[in-house]
Amino acid sequence: MARGENNDSHGSGNVPAAATAAAPASAAGGGKQAGAEGQSVVRRLQSELMALMMGGDPGVSAFPEGDNIFQWVGTIAGSAATAYEGTSYRLSLAFPSDYPYKPPKVRFDTPCFHPNVDAHGNICLDILQDKWSSAYDVRTILLSIQSLLGEPNNDSPLNTQAAALWANQEEFRKMVEKLYKPA
Amino acid sequence: MQLDGADGALDSWARFCALSDELFGGAGDLSAGPRLAPVVADLCARGLAALLRDHFLRSLEGIFRSNAVEKFWQQFHPYCSSSAVERIKFCVHENWPEDVLCRALEDICLEKSYQEKCVLALVHSLQSYEDRTPNRKSKSLDCSSSLMPRYQLMVSSVLLTTLPLSFPEILNVYFKKKLEELNIMMAGSDGNDPFGNHDLFERSNTSAWQSQMDIDGQEPVISESRNLVKNIGKVVRDLRYLGFTSMTEDAYSSAIIWLLKSKVHELAGDDYRIPVLGCVKKWIQAVPLKFLHALLTYLGDSVNNESGSSGLKSPLASRPSSFPGIGVPSEALVRWHMRLEYFAYETLQDLRIGKLFEIIVDYPESSPAIEDLKQCLEYTGQHSKLVDSFISSLRYRLLTAGASTNDILHQYVSTIKALRTIDPTGVFLEAVGEPIRDYLRGRKDTIKCIVTMLTDGSGGNTNGTGNAGDNLLEELNRDAENQENVDYDDHTNIDEKQAWLNAESWEPDPVEADPLKGSRNRRKIDILGLIVSIIGSKDQLVNEYRVMLAEKLLNKSDFDIDSDIRTLELLKIHFGESSMQKCEIMLNDLIDSKRTNSNIKTSLSRTSQIGTGHDVFDATIISSNFWPPIQTEDLTIPVSVDQLLSDYAKRFHQIKTPRKLLWKKNLGTVKLELQFEDRSMQFTVAPVHAAIIMQFQEKPSWTSKTLAAAIGVAVDSLNRRISFWTSKGVLTESVGPDADDHTFTVVDSTSDFSKNSTVNQLCERFQMAEDEGESSVASVEEQLRKEMTVYEKFIIGMLTNFGSMTLDRIHNTLKMFCIAEPSYDKSLQQLQSFLSGLVSDEKLEMRDGSYILRK
Repeated sequence: MARGENNDSHGSGNVPAAATAAAPASAAGGGKQAGAEGQSVVRRLQSELMALMMGGDPGVSAFPEGDNIFQWVGTIAGSAATAYEGTSYRLSLAFPSDYPYKPPKVRFDTPCFHPNVDAHGNICLDILQDKWSSAYDVRTILLSIQSLLGEPNNDSPLNTQAAALWANQEEFRKMVEKLYKPA
Repeated sequence: MQLDGADGALDSWARFCALSDELFGGAGDLSAGPRLAPVVADLCARGLAALLRDHFLRSLEGIFRSNAVEKFWQQFHPYCSSSAVERIKFCVHENWPEDVLCRALEDICLEKSYQEKCVLALVHSLQSYEDRTPNRKSKSLDCSSSLMPRYQLMVSSVLLTTLPLSFPEILNVYFKKKLEELNIMMAGSDGNDPFGNHDLFERSNTSAWQSQMDIDGQEPVISESRNLVKNIGKVVRDLRYLGFTSMTEDAYSSAIIWLLKSKVHELAGDDYRIPVLGCVKKWIQAVPLKFLHALLTYLGDSVNNESGSSGLKSPLASRPSSFPGIGVPSEALVRWHMRLEYFAYETLQDLRIGKLFEIIVDYPESSPAIEDLKQCLEYTGQHSKLVDSFISSLRYRLLTAGASTNDILHQYVSTIKALRTIDPTGVFLEAVGEPIRDYLRGRKDTIKCIVTMLTDGSGGNTNGTGNAGDNLLEELNRDAENQENVDYDDHTNIDEKQAWLNAESWEPDPVEADPLKGSRNRRKIDILGLIVSIIGSKDQLVNEYRVMLAEKLLNKSDFDIDSDIRTLELLKIHFGESSMQKCEIMLNDLIDSKRTNSNIKTSLSRTSQIGTGHDVFDATIISSNFWPPIQTEDLTIPVSVDQLLSDYAKRFHQIKTPRKLLWKKNLGTVKLELQFEDRSMQFTVAPVHAAIIMQFQEKPSWTSKTLAAAIGVAVDSLNRRISFWTSKGVLTESVGPDADDHTFTVVDSTSDFSKNSTVNQLCERFQMAEDEGESSVASVEEQLRKEMTVYEKFIIGMLTNFGSMTLDRIHNTLKMFCIAEPSYDKSLQQLQSFLSGLVSDEKLEMRDGSYILRK
């Protein structure tokens, strides 16, 4: 039910109503048909979920929250031999209705002490902004964030304190542990 | 009447004291009695009657206390002052409390009766005075008539206040011993037993009994028992005389109850194959009731009671109970009878309930015990005791990991049958069965066991589990008969008649029934229905049966499916035609296969004329859509055989266009004979085994890799299969240059073979067993497991992200998001059993009703 409504609102928001009604036959030929596109986003997300579940990548996982397939909860485990070893971070992923043409909004729900993560959990990662491509999917996003934990981009820090401390891994680890609140 | 002052009064008082002392000390001489009258009259006239009476009684009390009471208790002193261990010694002594008790009672009663005479003397004196002075009658009357009761009261209060604590115990021991004696006497004289012999007593009535009691001597047993009862009666009477009435009653009733209890235990014991209740009831009439009757008659109570009770009839007395030989029983006796019977019922019931588990284990043999229990429960109404006790013993002894599912099911079926006898409404069965059912639901092999029980009965296997199977198949048969009758009735007037009869014979449920679960569904206790409802739905059962049937049919080579058709027909009656449809098609496939086979074979032999060997094989042609998924494995079979198969398939296509025949080459059985230089051997094996050994016709030695390539199977599966032949001594295995690549060589002569035959013989059995484990049909669990691995990943995925989830939430989330191939379509129950599997695999944990990942 909720999904259906979502499609409708998306359709009326982005596409001229007349075109929708007038050209059902041209849907296959590239014309934007609201129901079909909404359906295809859902289908894409479902297949991503399936791939993610069956892929079994260690340390990354995500699942739709509640009954809304556009809102997911993700989990990332800190890689071994990094300052984040033994930690597990919860993220939220919000997919736009024109996914995968636009990237999902991803943020940390668990407080994370990291040069590229701010106090509100926002992440500074290029593929989530200007470098986004529809070839990426949930799995690659999660893996990118996992590797970002071990290899921060200290040139454009959101958290300058973390960036400054990065050089001293021992102290950095202490800060990570201090601010870490397991879900 | 003149009064001459204080001196006269003192004088009279002194004379009264002297006379009364003379009277007390007279040792049987009551001559002082008449002389007492004038003195008493004088004192009474002076208004000293009360003083006189009190003095008299006090003196008597002092004398009684010092003369009789102390002596009386002295007799029991050795017992009372001894320790518990020493008391046992007393009890063992044959004549112990009897002799002492009789002697002591005799002495004290003598003393008391003498004193009573003294009291009577005073009473007479008082009365004669009262008669002379009618005007003062009212006051003095009080004095004379109250004297005797006050004396009686004094005696018993003196005795009771000085009573040693263990006196009731002594009485108890006494009655126990006497009753045992009586019981042995009765048991020893079966036929001539005066109490047990009904003929004798139906003729005689109460008076005859009494007269016999006095004048007897012909039959030693009779006189002996009479004497015994008489002795006991005397003791009881003496005790009552001393004011110990209630204590005596307590003592002998507890002795009787004790004897009854030990009798019930002795009769009932641990043998459940004989009914006991009748014996117990007979015994109650034979021993304790006869004893009580004799005792009451001796004491004269029964006569009194009878006349007394004629006015107000107790409801108990109206009970039509005629005791052989006693005639019309007194009310006291009826009460005793009911009390004893109730106690017997209760004792036996407790005994049987305690052992109900064992009784049900032995069920069909132990039905007499069940019947007894049923009667007991009808009388006592303590069904809830049965339920509680049985459930706890089930939990403790049956519903444990150690018990096999077959045993549990067997016990459940026996329980149903046994409890059906006890309680046809099924209320208690419901209560008792629930824990078993809950437990069985948690077992993975329950369905399989049930299906085996349903279908394997005809196999005639004699081991323990076959027994239960027989029962269920028999149940299936019976059910079928019932259903047929019902069907028949449906279309006739009999149905209406029957319905009306049923309505008329309605009875309310027992009080213990759960009012929430209406009574309609427990009208008929249907074993199959109960068993099937353990699984939850008949579909699962039918599915399991289908897999089992498929397995069985595919391994058949003779198309003999009569017994399977029979079972299927029975199942169809029970589960309905539509749900058994696929199974029916499977059986029809077999029947068709037989026909098609002969058809194709004759046409093939006609066309090719030469014996191409088509008659050496039979094909089982199945409509694969209706069969459970079939295990397939690639297998390259020898060219000659392959040619036969494709010829056959072509012919089939011609006959049955547009249908095509697709061979499942890995299934079936092959009978082959291997000829060596010096011997030949016959085998019945799977096609894979045959394909392997046929390769050795061309080349006596193969490496496992090349052989695997030649027959088109994987190397590890080849290695598994080929061990069959090495274990038979047909092939030998040697490690080649490459460690993974073993070389197999045919053993062509026995001499080679005998060298390692001992070793091989050892493992032969094992290999066969393992070989049997291979099945041609994917089992229901396997199918389910395959689907469930997908769900497992989803479940782990969602638990990783959500932490903990309840069963419901997991179920709903799966329904919502696991919609790709294969979409989630399981019931909540199936999911639960799957999750509990994951819990036992230590993948998940269950905490506070939610599942969490195990770290």
